[in-house]
Amino acid sequence: MSEEKKTMTPIADIFDQKLLSKIKEERISPKPRWHFLLKNYVIWIIGSLALLIGAGAVSVLTYLMTNNDLGIRHEINKTWGEVLLLTLPYFWLILLGLLVFVIYYNIKHTKRGYRYPLWSVLLASILASIILGEALFLFGVGEKIDGILGRRAPLYEFFINPQLDFWSRPEEGRLVGVPLQFFGDERFILVDRDQKEWEIIPASSTVERFLEKRPFAPEMMLDENEPLPPIRLIGKQISEQEFTAEIIIPLLPGRAFFDRPGHGPNPSNGSRCLENKNNKKNNERPCVLEGEGTMRSHPSPNN
Amino acid sequence: MTHYNNPDSLNDAELVKIILTDQENFLYLVNRYKDKLLNYIRRLTNASLEEAEDTLQEVFIKVYLNLNDFNPDLKFSSWIYRITHNQVISRHRKIKARPEGYMVDIEDQAARNLAADIDIVAATDLTILKQKITTILNQIAPKYREILVLKFLEEKNYQEISDILKKPAGTVASQLNKAKQEFKRELVKQKFILNI
Repeated sequence: MSEEKKTMTPIADIFDQKLLSKIKEERISPKPRWHFLLKNYVIWIIGSLALLIGAGAVSVLTYLMTNNDLGIRHEINKTWGEVLLLTLPYFWLILLGLLVFVIYYNIKHTKRGYRYPLWSVLLASILASIILGEALFLFGVGEKIDGILGRRAPLYEFFINPQLDFWSRPEEGRLVGVPLQFFGDERFILVDRDQKEWEIIPASSTVERFLEKRPFAPEMMLDENEPLPPIRLIGKQISEQEFTAEIIIPLLPGRAFFDRPGHGPNPSNGSRCLENKNNKKNNERPCVLEGEGTMRSHPSPNN
Repeated sequence: MTHYNNPDSLNDAELVKIILTDQENFLYLVNRYKDKLLNYIRRLTNASLEEAEDTLQEVFIKVYLNLNDFNPDLKFSSWIYRITHNQVISRHRKIKARPEGYMVDIEDQAARNLAADIDIVAATDLTILKQKITTILNQIAPKYREILVLKFLEEKNYQEISDILKKPAGTVASQLNKAKQEFKRELVKQKFILNI
């Protein structure tokens, strides 16, 4: 017997017989082909869905980050890092991270997925999410998702879009809400996210037009039949219900939050800048909006 | 059962097709692989012949059950080795190192190839060399043992090892290097002579 033959361990035919009898006794038969095809389809479908949702997350992230407050950090007395830390959309970043992992996991579990190294699969998952996400952003999907979640998602203002919470700090000079009533002297009533009414006193000639810095503002142009858009104010809280506004800028991401019942002005008490009881009572004329979201009131004929 | 006069003339993929139409032909496949796989199982685990045969039977049952999952783009031998490897892991995971007595003998050429790759002196007596290789394989970490076994004792190439272990070829190459270094360290520890 050759040396090579010695190394082999021949199995007696009894092994074959035992194997065959086990197969017959237990009525084992090959699993049908559809069983494996289904498993593969499920892997691909879950991976594709994760990619699509991840791309949606990227489009919202892009929408939020292109409308962040880094450009006005000096006006709100914050550093670059502070603004980023306080307004970074952690929810979307964490969701994106999880979805990239799901994509990676599913690619790895495809028939040939194991052949690709970790870094290349991760890079491909991230790049695919970003490229598709940016395409969706260009079609306005990020804004639409933010709008839908703004109207419906629980804890939206804390986790999904922390910019809203960041702007709800009147004691730190930041306030967000929807204008409700305008008076002739540029004062107006603003309803914040908790339905609290504030009397806003714009500092004389300091209502700056920040819209030039905001290329995404055209949609803020309003006609008088539309509800007023939510705005952000930078200024100072002077009493429990009064706030002087030095800067007024429109709210873009998160404005749909104020469409929720209980978080914007109550339509029954007049949520637009038209005639209202107070104006009539004070012999003031209703105000109109001028330009891209800048608020001006018509001077009273008596002035 | 449809008998084939010369089943050896069929390649594995053709044989699988035939089995799927007439499952009685499964024995042709069993006979083609049972000795190789039994040795592979014993090299990985040092299991006794009876234990290894039990594992092997489970392997063939799994192969039989999953025949429709075989992808002809892959070598059938890689696929069946992968199933065997996974079965060995799940069955023998908790079993620690066993007495060397169960270890299957190493083929001469495999021993020479491993020795050449690790730089063991060529003049070493072949019987002693094989004993030392067996001893060291039994002592190094399982993840290193399995890759050395596949490369040198089962004589699989990088792509086949990649398909068996389901790891990228680059990972296989780096793991193989680490395994060889670990093997060398163990050789030095055992005061076995190297060419260095």
